[in-house]
Amino acid sequence: MNALDYLQFVLAPQVVNGLALGVAVVLVALGLTIIFGMLDVINMSHGEFYAIGAYAALALGAAGINFWFLLVLVPILMVPLGMAAERLLIRPVFDSKDRHVTTLLVTFGLALVVEDLLKVVFGPNTQRPPTPIPGATELAGIIVPNYRLFLIVVGAAIVSAVAYVVYRTRLGAMVRAAAFDRNMAASLGVPVALVYAGTFAFGVALAGLAGVLLAPIYSVFPTMGRDFILLAFTVVIVGGMGSIWGAVVAGLLLTQVQALASLVISPVWTDPIVFGTMVAFLVFRPQGLFGRLGHA
Amino acid sequence: MRDRLTNAMRASHVLALIFVAGALALAVIGAATGDTFYLRLGTEALIFAGLALSVDLLLGYSGALSLGQALYFGVGAYVSALTLLKVPSFWLAMLAAGGATLVASIIGGLIANRVRGVYFALITFGLAQVVSKVVYNTRELGASDGMIGIPVIDIGFGPFSVSAGNPVGFFLIVLAIIMGLYWLTAYLLDTPFGRVLTALKANEKRVPFLGYSVWRARMFSYVLAGLIAGLSGALYPMLRGFVSPELMFFATSGNAVISVILGGVGTLIGAIYGSVLLVVLKSIIGSWTEHHLIVIGLIFMICVMFLPKGLIGFIRPRLEERLSEKTPDATPLTSVSLQPGSAKP
Amino acid sequence: MSNHVLDIRDLGIAFGGLKAVDQVSFKAERNRITTVIGPNGAGKSTLFNLISGALKPRSGQILIDGVDLTGASPARTKAAGLSRSFQITNLFFELTVAENLRMAAQVLEPVGRAFLPIGRSTRALAKTAEMLERFQLGHKRDELAGNLSHGDQRRLEIAVCLASEPKILLLDEPTQGMSHSDTADTAKLVRALSRDVSVLLIEHDIGLVMDLSDHVVVMHQGRKLAEGPPAVVRADPAVQAAYFGHH
Repeated sequence: MNALDYLQFVLAPQVVNGLALGVAVVLVALGLTIIFGMLDVINMSHGEFYAIGAYAALALGAAGINFWFLLVLVPILMVPLGMAAERLLIRPVFDSKDRHVTTLLVTFGLALVVEDLLKVVFGPNTQRPPTPIPGATELAGIIVPNYRLFLIVVGAAIVSAVAYVVYRTRLGAMVRAAAFDRNMAASLGVPVALVYAGTFAFGVALAGLAGVLLAPIYSVFPTMGRDFILLAFTVVIVGGMGSIWGAVVAGLLLTQVQALASLVISPVWTDPIVFGTMVAFLVFRPQGLFGRLGHA
Repeated sequence: MRDRLTNAMRASHVLALIFVAGALALAVIGAATGDTFYLRLGTEALIFAGLALSVDLLLGYSGALSLGQALYFGVGAYVSALTLLKVPSFWLAMLAAGGATLVASIIGGLIANRVRGVYFALITFGLAQVVSKVVYNTRELGASDGMIGIPVIDIGFGPFSVSAGNPVGFFLIVLAIIMGLYWLTAYLLDTPFGRVLTALKANEKRVPFLGYSVWRARMFSYVLAGLIAGLSGALYPMLRGFVSPELMFFATSGNAVISVILGGVGTLIGAIYGSVLLVVLKSIIGSWTEHHLIVIGLIFMICVMFLPKGLIGFIRPRLEERLSEKTPDATPLTSVSLQPGSAKP
Repeated sequence: MSNHVLDIRDLGIAFGGLKAVDQVSFKAERNRITTVIGPNGAGKSTLFNLISGALKPRSGQILIDGVDLTGASPARTKAAGLSRSFQITNLFFELTVAENLRMAAQVLEPVGRAFLPIGRSTRALAKTAEMLERFQLGHKRDELAGNLSHGDQRRLEIAVCLASEPKILLLDEPTQGMSHSDTADTAKLVRALSRDVSVLLIEHDIGLVMDLSDHVVVMHQGRKLAEGPPAVVRADPAVQAAYFGHH
C-alpha cells in the first residue's frame, strides 16, 4: 500500500471517525462541565443520564416515534428527571461541609441504581437502533457515513448554541451570577433555587440528547454510561473544569490522539494514553487548558 | 487524663473486640459443621475490609477521598501471586507485596498529593485506571484473564504450619492480619503524629502555622494506606488461587468507599463492619434478585444523605457515653453536633 | 543575642501591578509590643503573611533572631520561633479546646515522641494545662472549639499561638469583633504577655494602640509612613494627614 492509499483509506477515515467520536464526547462533557462550573458539583451519574437518553430513544423509536421528533422529545423528557434529581439528591446536601465529596458520593450511588435499573428494564444485551440516515458520501476521496457527517454538523451547532446561551444571553448571565455569588444573585432577584435546578436539568438534558444522537453509532447497553463517562471526565479535566471551550478543544484533541494512537500503536493502549493525559494534567496543570480552579 | 479522641478510639476498640468475638464464633461454628462456603466468604470479606480500612484512613482522618485505592490492593495481589508462582512462601509473598506497594504508593503519593479535594479523588481514580488498563493489556500478567493456578501454600509459624486451603485456619490468619492492621492504624492515629492527620481534615490551612509539614503528613497517610491495601490484596490469591485485573477496577475501589460510608467514616472499625455488611447485603439480596446494586445504591445514597456517620457512627457515641461514665473528664466526641456553617465565624 | 528579635529589611511584594508591600523596613525589640497600624488596604495583613511565610516576598529580607528566613515555609518560620494568629479566627473547630492547645504545644516535644501514645508527651500536656489555666478555659477544655463564644475563640487563638513557646508572637487584630470589656481584658492579657515574648500586633483601636504599644509602625498604601514611640507617631503631621485625618 503506498502512502497516498494509506492516507485515503486508513488515516483519513480514522481522523473522521475520531472527529465524530470527539463531537460525541464533547456533547456528553458539555453537561458535565456546565454542572461543575455552575453548581460546583461532580455529577458521577452523568453517564447514566446519557444511557437513559439512549434507551429512551431506543424504546420510543421502537414504539414508532420518528427519530427527528425524538431529538426534541427526549431532552424535554429528561428535564423533569434532572429537576427531580437536583431537588431530591443534590439540594439536601448542597450546603454540607464538603460539597464536592458529598455530591460526588450521592451521584455515585445514583449511578449504581440507574445502571442496574436499566438492566432490569431493558435486559443486559447490547442493542442498536437503526441508522436514521443511511448511506455514505464521498468527500475528497474519503467515504464517510452520512450519519457521522450529520452528527459532526449537528454536534457543532449544539455546542455553539449552548455556548451562546451561557455566555451571551441574559439567561446565561443570570445563571453565571448565581454561580458566582448566590447571596448577591438572590438579592438582585435571581430565583437561585430554580436556576440551580434548571442548570442541573439542562446538563442532564444535554446528556440525554447525546444519548439519542450516539445510540445509532455506539449501540445501547446498560454500562454504556460508565464506559463513556471516563472519557468525558478526562475531557472536562483537560479542558478545565467548567469551561465550555476547554471541553470542545480537549474533546476534539483527545479523540484524535486516541484515534491515531489506536492506528499507530494499538487500540488496546488508547485508554492508558488518555487516562495518562488526564493524570498528567491533574499533576502539572490542574486548572486545565482554559479553566480556573473553582470558577465558572 | 484522657481526651475525647482517645475515648472515641477506645469505643472503636470495644466494637473491634465484639467483631473478633463474632468472627471467632463463626470459625467455631464453621469448624463444627465442616462448612467451607461461609468461611471462605467471610475470609474474602475480611480481605476487602483491609482495603476499606485504607480508604477510611485517608477519607476519615486526613479527609482525602481516594477513588482508586484498589490500585494498591491489585499491586499487592499481583505481586503476591507472582511470588507464589515462583516460591510458595507466605512470608516472602507478604514481604514482596509490602515492598511493591510501598514503592507504588510513594510514586502514587508524589503524584496525587500535588492536588487537593475533588482533584485528589479524580487523580487517584485516573491512576488506578491507567495501571489497571496496562495490566489488562499485558500478556505477561495474563492480560484480561489474569493469572490462575496459584498454588495452595502452607503458612509456617515456627514449628506450626497452617494450609491456606484450610478454611478455618486461613480465616483465622486473615482475621489476625486484618485486625493487626486495624490496631496498628488505630495506634498511629492516637499518637501526636496521627493527630496531625486529624488536624488536616479539620483545618488544613492552620496546620503549617503550628509548625507541621502538611505534605509530609499527607504523604505518610497515603503511603500507610497504600501499604494496608497492598498487604490485604496479597492475601487474595492465597484464598482464591487467581488474580484478575478486575481487582484494580473502579468497582473494587467503589465497593471499598461504599463499605466505609455504610460502616461509618472516621471510625476505622466501621470500615471493617461495613465490608462485612456489604457482603452480607449482597448475599441476602442476591438470593432473591441478581440486581443487588439497586438496593445497595439506594442504601448508600440514604447513608450519605441522612446517616453521614454510618452504622458505627450511629452506635459509637452511645458506647462512648457509657465508657466516659467511668471517666468523667471525657465526654463523647460525636454527640455534640456542629451547626451548619459554624466552622465559619 | 541582638536586642532585635525581628528585623525586616526592604520587604516588598506586588499583586499584578499593585505594590501591596513596598520597601518596608523596621525592627521589633525583644519583649516589647510593636504595633503596625494603617488604614484598610495599607498592606498590614500582607506584611504579616510575608513574615509568617504564607507569602513569599519579591524583594527584601526577614530575619528572626538574626536568622535569615526570607521565603521560608510557614512550618520552618514556626520552627524558628514565630507564632501567628489570624484576623479571622482560625482554629480546629471540630476539635476540643484542649486538643487545639495540645496540637500547638506538641512541637515542644522531641520528635521521637510523635509515634508514642499521646499520654507520653508530658511536656505538651503540661503546657496545655498551663494554657487552660492561664486563659481561664479550663472548664471548657472538652468543648469543641467551634462551639465557643466569639470572645473565647479569640482568646483560645492567642493561647494556641503561645502554647508553642514562641520568641515572637504575631497577633492580627486580636480584639476584632470583641465587646468593650473583652477588649479591655485582651489588652491586659497582651500587656502581660510581653513580659516573656515579643509581640507584633495589628490593631485598629487607636486608643488601645497608644495605650499598649512600645513602638508603632504606620503603613499607608503599602509603604511605611512613619515609626516611633506612640506619642511621636501621633504627633507626626504626615500620619495625621494620612491616617488620623480619616477618623
